[in-house]
Amino acid sequence: MTNRLLNIWLIARREYVERIRTKGFLIATILIPTLMGGGMFGAAELAAKSKTAAHIAVLASQPQPAQDLSYELEHGKDSTMTVEILPLSTSHAALDQKMKDKQLDGYLVIKPATEPSQRPAFDFTPRSTADIATTTAIQEALHRVLIREYLAEKGLSASQTDALMAPVTLNVLGRNGERGDSKSAFLVAYVLFFLMYMVVLLYGMNVARSIIEEKTSRVFEVLLATIQPDELLAGKILGVGAVGLTQVGIWMIAFGLLAAQMGATSGVQISSAQVIYFVVYFGLGYALYSAVAASLGAMTNSEQELQQLNMFMMLPLFFSLLMLAPVVTNPNSVVSRIVSQIPFCAPLLMDLRVSISMPQPWEIALSIGLILAAIYAVLWFSSRIYRVGILMYGKKPNLPEILRWLKYS
Amino acid sequence: MPIVELNKVRKVYDTKVAVEGLSLTMEPGTMFGLLGPNGSGKTSTIRMMIGMTMPDSGSVSLFERPLHREMLNRVGYLPEERGLYKKMKVLDQLVFLGRLHGLSEATAKERSLAWCERIQITEAIGKKTEDLSKGMQQKIQFIAALLHDPELVIMDEPFSGLDPVNAELLLDTLVGLRREGKAVMFSTHRMDQVEKMCDAIALISRGRLVLSGSMREVKARYARNRVHVVFSGDESFLKHPEVEEAKHYAGGADLKLYHEAGAQKVLAEAVTRGTVVHKFEVKEPTLEEIFIEQVRAGFGREEAEEIAND
Repeated sequence: MTNRLLNIWLIARREYVERIRTKGFLIATILIPTLMGGGMFGAAELAAKSKTAAHIAVLASQPQPAQDLSYELEHGKDSTMTVEILPLSTSHAALDQKMKDKQLDGYLVIKPATEPSQRPAFDFTPRSTADIATTTAIQEALHRVLIREYLAEKGLSASQTDALMAPVTLNVLGRNGERGDSKSAFLVAYVLFFLMYMVVLLYGMNVARSIIEEKTSRVFEVLLATIQPDELLAGKILGVGAVGLTQVGIWMIAFGLLAAQMGATSGVQISSAQVIYFVVYFGLGYALYSAVAASLGAMTNSEQELQQLNMFMMLPLFFSLLMLAPVVTNPNSVVSRIVSQIPFCAPLLMDLRVSISMPQPWEIALSIGLILAAIYAVLWFSSRIYRVGILMYGKKPNLPEILRWLKYS
Repeated sequence: MPIVELNKVRKVYDTKVAVEGLSLTMEPGTMFGLLGPNGSGKTSTIRMMIGMTMPDSGSVSLFERPLHREMLNRVGYLPEERGLYKKMKVLDQLVFLGRLHGLSEATAKERSLAWCERIQITEAIGKKTEDLSKGMQQKIQFIAALLHDPELVIMDEPFSGLDPVNAELLLDTLVGLRREGKAVMFSTHRMDQVEKMCDAIALISRGRLVLSGSMREVKARYARNRVHVVFSGDESFLKHPEVEEAKHYAGGADLKLYHEAGAQKVLAEAVTRGTVVHKFEVKEPTLEEIFIEQVRAGFGREEAEEIAND
């Protein structure tokens, strides 16, 4: 028994040391957070850029509400547009030509109401119907202008109107009654989700690839003359997994240092419970997926063949990704509860639920139990596949053959 | 007291019978040659000997006990398919493999260095495996099989792909191991190689044992009925009734006779006919000739030709 553990340790250590030393490890360690950070920063920038700065014309017969609207659009919360007020009689053909020359992004025609009780009619002709941001900004601005006009008519002063129209502040409280920041909680949940998604996929594939590498370089024959296939499998999964944990550890420490540097201003908080659950679910998820990857690696002879079987790993991960939105918006719905119990999705989705809104303890316990059972089942399957598959060179096995392998060992 | 014993071993892959009813024994302290053409089942047999695959029926014993994984630390194995970690440094690799065989880190290192010196690859120690020539890599794997000082060495085609100088070096090393009292088994399809150095052999073809035993026994079983003759002049003596088969080429011929005693009659005939005989040598058949003869007896002429041409 101690001999077996020693062998597993030797295999794991070799796998770890040789991987940590590679340039690929260094590059991935630096590149992945850079890309992720860049992606998120880019998305935030893009969201800010969607603040519309269009140049439009307003065709109106009376100064009001055209002037108020112009003020709203030029200094509004979501818009910094340029607005020209033109008489109603302005030729539409001339405006159309201006739009063609890209000097104008659209024009709004305000037709006065025929009866006093009715609202005026607003016809907007945009240069591109896809410019939703501008259309929405105009619609919202018109709404505010009309309410102000109505309130002024009813005799309210400008300051009273402002007070009435001010947005409501909703204080979102954490469970302990402290003021929480739900935006940063989501951010942390998302980051952890994608981190796990990427690392599990990356290192799962690494296990498969390293098996194929040993197969093509035929190192197996030497190794199998002294150690057993399951020792090799266990050592590989542990060694490659340790590399993944090291990488995530480096990121977490770097992130921690960065957050400390930026102080409380960053506003991003990760609780220790979040970190612990993340490590637990990451470990479980990685073990499950790498066991799957190991059997894929044992069944194939080259990277190309592996690519074809990749979908067995990608599908459940992709499904988890699809379920991200429903779970985030409604973490305690029946659907969320069910999908977060599926062993192949649980590491990602249950951890997401833990980050957003803590599920019942029994749910966490059940999901961990189910994942463990799944890991056991997959390992049982892959160690059998492995034992036979790694000595098969040359041809790709078909399903009946794989089933026979299961019986054989 | 055999160190290796196979008893009616059978192994079938899918539809192909790789080994069929194979029995052989190897005595300790001997050098044993496992011979046969390509695809005859040598590698399958060896894989079963080290427990990498299990026979479908029959039994394998090492060190007089049924094969068990624990024994493998006493066996050194060089697989036919050479393989090393490409990116790993030579010394790291040797130490790693030595440790898997139960050596301590220090011992593994010490022995690796000693062996590298012994087979003249000291300059490769600090290099990555992928930077080495194929022959070098083969020598490293050769060392890896011997690091843990095994009592039984099993090597699958150890000399294939080596230049004559290096093949000779490894051959001498194996002979040295045998002198130290180790049992050495190796497979090869080059029969001339084993003829001079093996104590015992097994010849297999198409998964079946053709013949086995000590070299002396095997040879003794066959009559010294081969004649190598170099001559000039009349060649009609080659048609003498004692001659079973004659391969005639410029200036000479190789004859196979029906009886050992026929040689004198053939020589007398040649002299009578006035042929000038420069050389007349009576020989025992080579292993290759024995092998072809056996296969021919077992499978028929066509198949024997086919195997001989492999």
